[in-house]
Amino acid sequence: MRYLLAGPLIYCLLVSCGERQAGAKNHIVLIQGMKFQPAELTVNSGDTVTWINKDFVDHDVTEEQTKAWTSSVLPNGKQWSRVINSSTDYYCSIHVVMKGKLKVN
Amino acid sequence: MVCNLLTFQLHYKGKSNIMNFLLRLTGVVCLFATTGATAQTQLSDPEVASVAVAANTIDIKYAEIAKKKSKNSEVTNFAETMIKDHNAVLGQASALVKKLNVTPKDNAVSQKLNSDAEKTRNDLNGRSGTDFDKAYINNEVAYHKAVIDAVKNVLIPETENQELKDLLTNILPALDTHLQHAEMLQKKLAK
Repeated sequence: MRYLLAGPLIYCLLVSCGERQAGAKNHIVLIQGMKFQPAELTVNSGDTVTWINKDFVDHDVTEEQTKAWTSSVLPNGKQWSRVINSSTDYYCSIHVVMKGKLKVN
Repeated sequence: MVCNLLTFQLHYKGKSNIMNFLLRLTGVVCLFATTGATAQTQLSDPEVASVAVAANTIDIKYAEIAKKKSKNSEVTNFAETMIKDHNAVLGQASALVKKLNVTPKDNAVSQKLNSDAEKTRNDLNGRSGTDFDKAYINNEVAYHKAVIDAVKNVLIPETENQELKDLLTNILPALDTHLQHAEMLQKKLAK
């Protein structure tokens, strides 16, 4: 009986995940002129943010408070993405005065 | 023509050597300002390229000293960034002069920069501990201020080739970020 219920349950989970992904957006932050552009970005939970390094120097994108996540080094032209579920401040750990904010609705 | 003197605010106290350094650096800024102040162009594009190469190489050498001597991780991380970023600028400059078939030409400005930098390196090499850290970072603040001023007010106006002008313009944000970073460390080290 358990196995009969598992199938529909798994189907429902997959459909609901698909619905969340279908509604999720991808946002772009350019790293250019030694700034995150835009420096403050408001997103919905589950959206993806993609950072693209347009500068000729290396940068990274690192969560500021606890260093919970980092892109590692991004050379010119490289990009990195993360699904965002909570508001957070981040910075470039190479150029520590470069800062950005993500706000989740 | 009146020299465009910069005032450097120091949090570092006590050593007369740093005052000698400031006078030398002020002299370099005067040299930059004077060459840009006349109606006729004083620096050719090959000479501008040589000054740009010298200015970047000098900061790389300061940073190499800091990486060897400092025990402060924030200072050594800053130095590492200076090495990487100024080498990236040199890479851009090297590619451009190759493309333009320009050979950087040594001149009075680049020679003065180099001779003064040697004196500063000797001064830094004679220091240790927090004394070194403060002197290095104070120098970085002063040096980046002088270089930013020189790039904006002398090198860019003096440059004829638009691509070289654009390169010099494009490095200004990095120089400004370096200055902000150095000033942040200067405040921390002054505590």
